[in-house]
Parts: sequence; structure tokens; C-alpha cells
Amino acid sequence: MKGTTIGQPMMIRAKHLVKDYVLQEKKGLFWQRRKKTIHAVSDITLEIPKGKIIGVLGINGAGKTTTIRMLASLITPTSGTLTMDGVDGVKNHLWVKEHINVISGGERNLYWRLTARENLRYFGNLYGISKKALNERIAHLLRIVGLENAQDIPVERFSKGMKQRLQIARGLINDPEYIFLDEPTLGLDIMIAKEIRELIAKLAKEREKGLLLTTHYIAEAEELCDYIYVLDKGKIIARGTKEELKELFTYRPQLSISTDLKEKQSILEELKESFCDRITIEIGQNTVIHVTGDSQDWSKVLNVLFERQVKIYNLSIHEPNLEEVLMEIISQSREEQHEKNPVSNEGRDCKTAAE
Amino acid sequence: MRKILLVMKAEIVKQQQNDYHSYFVYFSLVIWPILGFLEIYYTYKPFQLSGFMGIETSSDLLSFLGTGFMAYTCFWSMVQNAWSMSNQERKNGTLEITFLTPANRMAMVYGKALGALLQEVWMFCCFCIFVLFYTKTLRWDNLFLLPLFLILLLTASTIWGGMLNVIFLFSRDASFVMDLFDAPMTLFAGTRIPVNCFPKWAKVISLFFPLTYCLNIIRFILGIQKQDKDLFYSLGGLMLCLAVMVLITRYFIVKVEKHNRETGELQFY
Repeated sequence: MKGTTIGQPMMIRAKHLVKDYVLQEKKGLFWQRRKKTIHAVSDITLEIPKGKIIGVLGINGAGKTTTIRMLASLITPTSGTLTMDGVDGVKNHLWVKEHINVISGGERNLYWRLTARENLRYFGNLYGISKKALNERIAHLLRIVGLENAQDIPVERFSKGMKQRLQIARGLINDPEYIFLDEPTLGLDIMIAKEIRELIAKLAKEREKGLLLTTHYIAEAEELCDYIYVLDKGKIIARGTKEELKELFTYRPQLSISTDLKEKQSILEELKESFCDRITIEIGQNTVIHVTGDSQDWSKVLNVLFERQVKIYNLSIHEPNLEEVLMEIISQSREEQHEKNPVSNEGRDCKTAAE
Repeated sequence: MRKILLVMKAEIVKQQQNDYHSYFVYFSLVIWPILGFLEIYYTYKPFQLSGFMGIETSSDLLSFLGTGFMAYTCFWSMVQNAWSMSNQERKNGTLEITFLTPANRMAMVYGKALGALLQEVWMFCCFCIFVLFYTKTLRWDNLFLLPLFLILLLTASTIWGGMLNVIFLFSRDASFVMDLFDAPMTLFAGTRIPVNCFPKWAKVISLFFPLTYCLNIIRFILGIQKQDKDLFYSLGGLMLCLAVMVLITRYFIVKVEKHNRETGELQFY
């Protein structure tokens, strides 16, 4: 190892990471080539402490996979710094690779003709693990991913879920300190996805691994992540705990009151005047009043309804989930950017709940 | 050193497990090369043997072609393997995953080469060794030459294969290397025709193929090319070729990883 870890925080720390790719555009009959620089990610700053699950969320093309590939030293950043436990991760990429691993969703990254055991043995040997330790580790990993009974069957015979579980075992073969999970439950059914989520949570909480998780499934991030970064078009546009993200965008719970107000226009007018910015009224078979804000706002509206002896059919509270927050964050960010620069799509402000 | 040997062993075992899953594979490994060998033998056989380069009888011709075909099969299997390794492993996504490990890169490429060599040529080598016994080129009294010439062949082929593996890591479009080496190596390296028969310009081309030197030495060791007085030149040429190939491999393995980390091309397929 080059460098020292004494006195350094035990975490992966990325500062202002940028990744540009030079692409060639092909045009015309004779394939005239024109070079074009694509900014895959811009100015990514994040931390992955041990024992925590860090989420990176974003829609397709947001830069999640590029970020993971940079953090895992598979690609070099165009600029910015990357340290692992205080050691420069760009210069010492082979050292970094001893202590990390990547688990990707999907069915690639395995030798399909080999059995589960043979796959794990091969990858274990690449990490230089001794025969005895490797045998014990393979047995342990096959047990925790539930593939003990299928260990000698070629991977090509495995179901999607079994392949994904083997991917997880492969990702743990070197007992990494930091694990990057790139959509680990992609395309899996709910039962297997649940098992994998439980395993991921255990890795962080019980075995003190530092985890970075990218996912399309917002519920997964909501369940697992201690801290979340939201990426859009290669930039971090928001970050914080899930509670902080909900707070940041003033996305408050909503009380919906189903009433018989259809025939009582005067009361509706009164409510609109008194709570104009906090209520919306939906007139259908029943008249539903949606009240946003806190419990005090709700009780004020309810008091008015009780005083006017309005009949209430139903009450329901809607808590925003992370998916709604994420969509709100991305659309707000894009609107702000459009106002700033109506022509270009590039560049976004970073909103930080924690700051 | 333990880790390097572990990586090489892992590559050899993986190749066997991944590529050889049916007995039919073994048949194709030996039948086609034998057919190619017989085709050349029976092409030459009807013509009068002049005694040129010590080839005076049908047995001499069999020995000459047997060694030529055996060495050529070893070297050519390296070209094929480098191509298929690059192609298949890119498609599987396993190429990038192996580069996610801290494994010694030189051990990886040489392990892949040696693994492929052992798997792909052993049956045909057995056949060629049988031919050498049949023609009395190999006898009980000179059997000690067999390990010597096998080690020479394995070492030279593995170093050649390691270099090709690195070239194929640079680009998935490196299949032109296959075309570049197929016919020229067969013709100019002296697998079927003694290099001394060639005009000067062809002899110059033959100097660029390590297979040329390797064959000269093997044939000299086995007493097939009795008139070869240039053993030391061949030895020197082979050593130089091998050293240059190791240096090229060493240089390019660093370059190729740097290139792939900058462009992310290792995941393309």
C-alpha cells in the first residue's frame, strides 16, 4: 500500500469528481467522424463511511453507473480526487481493488458454463486467497445466499434470482470493506428482492461494510439508505437523509376529507378564502377537500366543518413517499435550470438539506 | 510469487471448466489438425524427394511436417484463443470483472495463454509425438529430448500468446491480427517448407516470427534438419524474440489498463 491510513477517516471520499468521454459521431456516406465530449458526471462529491448504506438515485442516464465505476477504480475520473481510508484511490487502484467489490444487477459478470462453486473459486484465486480460507469462505457465502444445494450446477441452469444471489456471493468473495451495489435487485421478484435487501442491510449494520447502492426502486432506497444523493444529468442535485429530502422540498403530508359540501357553496367559498394556499377542492360524487400543512392547519379546517355541521364521510392522510420527492426534486431542478438558461440543458444547482 | 502462480492456475483451470464440456470438443481438437497434416503430407509425397535439408525419405518428410504442424498448432491456437477470449469475455462482462480484482495482470494473460495451450493442443501433440516415434525420430535412446523440446515449445507459445492477449485487450476489433498471422505464419515460419528454400525477401519476413526460430531449434534437437549450421543464430533469435515479446507485453499491459480506465471500453462488446 502506498500512503498511510493513520489518523485518516475510514471512508471513501470523492471530491469534485468529473468524468468526460470523448465520443465520435458518425455522419454521412463515408462516415465522417467528429469528436464530441460528453460530460457523463460533473462535480460529484460524496462520502461512504463504514457501516452505512449510501444511496445514489436518479433516472436513466443520470450518471449513477459511471459514478460507481469511478469509485470502484474501474475508470479514472477526468478530474477530482478519490480517497479510500486516506489513500489516493486513483493512483493506487490495485490497492483499492483489494478492499472493494462491485455487485451489479443482471445476469452478466459470471461464467455460465462454470458451477457456482467453480465461479467463486476462480474469483477467489484472483484475489490470492489461500485454499483453506477460500474453501471456508465459499461454503459460508453459498450458505448465506442460499445456493448450497445448487453449488455444483452450471450457472446457465440457474434462474435469474439464483444468478443474482451468486453475483452477491462473488461480490463478497474478497471480504471487501466497501461494496458498490449497482441495481442489485433489478428484475427480481418481490420475495427474492426482499431477501437481498435484508442481506444488504445486514452487511452494513452487522458487518460494518460501507455500501453504496444505486437503484431504480425508490422503496428500496427508502428502506435501506442512511443517506441519499440524487443525481440528474451527471450532477448531484440534492442530498440528505430521506427525512431531510422530504423536508427540503416542503413536501408536507396531506389530509383528504370527503364531505357532502357539494350543495353548500358558501362554506366552500369561506374555506377557500381562509385557507387559500393550503387547500384544494375536488368536486365529484363527494366533495373532497385536500389540506396540506401540519396538524394545526388540519384541525382549523376540521373545526370550520364541524361548526357548519358538514357531514364527513372519510378522512385519509397521504404521506409523500421518496419517489414523489425524487420526481419533485428532479422537476424543480430542471425548471430552475430552464429559467436560468433556457437554451442549454447542462448544469444544475446542488440543493443540500444537510447544509 | 504464490499469488502469481495461484492466478495462473486459476486461469488454466477456468479455461478447462469453461471451454471443455463435451467429448466432441476433444475430437475436433485432434481430427481437423490431423486432416490438415495428412493433406500436406500426401500433397508432397508423390514428388521425388531431393534430399534437400536432409529430407530424403517419406519418414523424414513425416518428421519435418509433424514438428512443423505441432509447433504451428501451438502458435496458431494462441492467436485463436486471444481472439475468442477477448470476444467471449467482453460479451459475458467477465473481462471487466477480472480487471476489478488486484490480480497480477501478467499472470492473468500468461495464465490464459498457457491454459488455452494445454487444452487445445495436447491431443494433437500426442499424435505428433506418435508420428515422431513412428518415424524413429524419437527413440528410447534420445527420449530425454522430448521434455526439452516440449518445454521450449510451451514457453515460446505461452509468451507469444501472452502478447496476443494484451493486443486483444486493447480493442474488440483486433481480429485483424488473426488475418495478419494466419497465412504468413504458415508460409514464412517454415512449418511446411524449409525456410532455406525461400528467396531472400521471404527469409527476411520469416525472421519476424518466433515460430521460425522455435522450429529451427526443435528440428535441430531432433536431428531432422541435419544441415542447419545456424543453431546459435536461431537460439539467439528466439531469445531476442521472447525477450522483446515479454517487454512488449509488460509495456502494453500497463498501457491497455490505463487506456481502458480512461475510456471505459473494457465493458463494450
